[in-house]
Amino acid sequence: MADLISNLGLGFLVAASLQNLFLCLIGVLVGTLVGVLPGVGSVATIAMLLPITFGLPPVGALIMLAGIYYGAQYGGSTTSILVNIPGEATSVVTTLDGHQMAKQGRAGPALAIAAIGSFLAGCVSTVLVAALGAPLTSIALVFRPPDYFALMVVGLIFAVVLAKGSIPKAIIMVLVGLLMSQIGQDIETGIGRLTFDIPELADGIALSVVAMGLFGFTEIIRNLEGSVSRDVVNAKIDGLMPKRADLRASAPAIWRGTILGSILGILPGGGAIIASFAAYGLEKRVSKHPEEFGRGAIQGVAAPESANNAAAQTSFIPLLTLGIPPNAVMALMAGAMTIHGIVPGPQIMTKQPELFWGMIASMWIGNLMLIIINLPLIGIWVRLLMIPYRLLFPCIIVFCCIGIYSVNNSTLDVVLAGAFGLIGYWMVKHDFEPAPLVLGWVLGPLMEENLRRAILISHGDVTVFFTRPIAASLLAVAAGLLLVAALPAIRRKREVVFVEE
Amino acid sequence: MSDAGAPKSRRRLPIRNPQDFWGSLTVAGLALLALWAGRDLPGMDGFAFGPGTAPRLLAVCLLVLAGAVALRALFVQGSRVGRFHARGPIVVMASILAFAAMIRPLGLAVTTFVCFMIAAAASGETRWVEATITALGFTFGAVLLFYYGLSLQFPLWPAFML
Repeated sequence: MADLISNLGLGFLVAASLQNLFLCLIGVLVGTLVGVLPGVGSVATIAMLLPITFGLPPVGALIMLAGIYYGAQYGGSTTSILVNIPGEATSVVTTLDGHQMAKQGRAGPALAIAAIGSFLAGCVSTVLVAALGAPLTSIALVFRPPDYFALMVVGLIFAVVLAKGSIPKAIIMVLVGLLMSQIGQDIETGIGRLTFDIPELADGIALSVVAMGLFGFTEIIRNLEGSVSRDVVNAKIDGLMPKRADLRASAPAIWRGTILGSILGILPGGGAIIASFAAYGLEKRVSKHPEEFGRGAIQGVAAPESANNAAAQTSFIPLLTLGIPPNAVMALMAGAMTIHGIVPGPQIMTKQPELFWGMIASMWIGNLMLIIINLPLIGIWVRLLMIPYRLLFPCIIVFCCIGIYSVNNSTLDVVLAGAFGLIGYWMVKHDFEPAPLVLGWVLGPLMEENLRRAILISHGDVTVFFTRPIAASLLAVAAGLLLVAALPAIRRKREVVFVEE
Repeated sequence: MSDAGAPKSRRRLPIRNPQDFWGSLTVAGLALLALWAGRDLPGMDGFAFGPGTAPRLLAVCLLVLAGAVALRALFVQGSRVGRFHARGPIVVMASILAFAAMIRPLGLAVTTFVCFMIAAAASGETRWVEATITALGFTFGAVLLFYYGLSLQFPLWPAFML
């Protein structure tokens, strides 16, 4: 406990430096902005801003990128409540009750509860990240290659089970991602693999290129299909403060959402989207008046908004302690760390404690900034929402192009990202999910490396995965998950979770 | 579905789930392509993986699974492939290609403006006067941010003007 406090003290010292406070502020503001604007996701934004962090010190860069992620969870709720369009995928369920509240003239309390819930969830999960960091890091030290391999299998299976739609198709996407991650030089021999003799492919395709294509361009192409009309609630937002009855009603929902979100955030493949859906479902189930949901129940805003914020923050745990990114955003964070010469994993905490604890402390500070800044700024965000999409999307396209080009000064990267945008569009039409593909892409090289080592150390004995207790139990978990998800009863429930719109 | 079993249409395979069928078949093709592209890569060397081991392993898994899903799609009812729109993807891609072609010879300012205007054509809702004004403002902002603010390595103006 004393350790924890002194560590957090160090963290606050780092995070409270003028430069880091400023970067944190920029991060949460940009995050809120992309959260508010529908059609601009946090994955694409972080990919876009990766090059901008080149010139920054590593701690500052990561503090800013983290701020974008949880800031986006925050901003997403504003759009959901006022426009009935989710600003972020994580705020889809918030539209159900949030927009109803806004129509009833209670937009103020809905926005306030979303903010308060997010803040409380952010506080709890910050402590959780700090408390779980050390024990998980020590676990990571006993992990051997077979165990790491098995852990990543569990992560991919989670991603498959939690993805929406058919399980075999999600596995196909994981395998496609793994296969595509093989493009480029072989780590041991340096032989070019699957490069079709194109010299630019010798280093493989950068994750930021794939992410920008599949999440940035695809989203735009898809949005262009329908007319994106927006029906902003024009009623003046007065009386921001929720009534005492609102607070009493939402307090338990905030706690339940926070706990559920924290757990789902840690699980690989989970993350903020699934957390918000699950929290809404749970709230509806435990409520004495489930019929109020969808008609402006304040719990329906409080729970998912707390859950997505909690999950966004706890998803840093696997990355910082085990070096395994649990979702696409964390994969990009891992990319950002690599750019700055930091290898994600257990050694961060021992070798760069100021980075680890500084980031954690900055999350709390960032949450505080969000609640202080954003409630007064809601008027500005609403005005931003008035910008029509027809003017917004060309900006996003050009911004993405500049972002990708500036990473390597490579025009081929820009073209490839565009190609991935088309591939993503094809995937949408065939009901393939991009998230498992990206996770496979990220974990591919790590998995191959650990598999190779495991086989080499055991002299070609594949049973090492079943005789080492850690690896064996992890693989058993993976198999169990897959089995359970394939059961008809659960399968139906999965569909319900995602259809609830 | 029942009329698909009529004697005359027997020769055509009844695909019950076109979305899964065509989707998985394409992926299976991708796996074959990977197998072909990696045909020369050395495989296992004793206990050690060769460069070709993992790609082949993955490609074979992918081929088997995608093949199975495609096969299943012949028999289990499913959805049709979503309708593709042409304008959005083509115009967006044109704007991206224009960016790639222009950024080096013509510089940031001209490229940003032109690509914005091309991209704007992707939507039927675009109003051109409004779009031109926004494009000018956006170009100004982009130059400020990327060239002066972040001093990224872009030429600002066309090379022949310098």
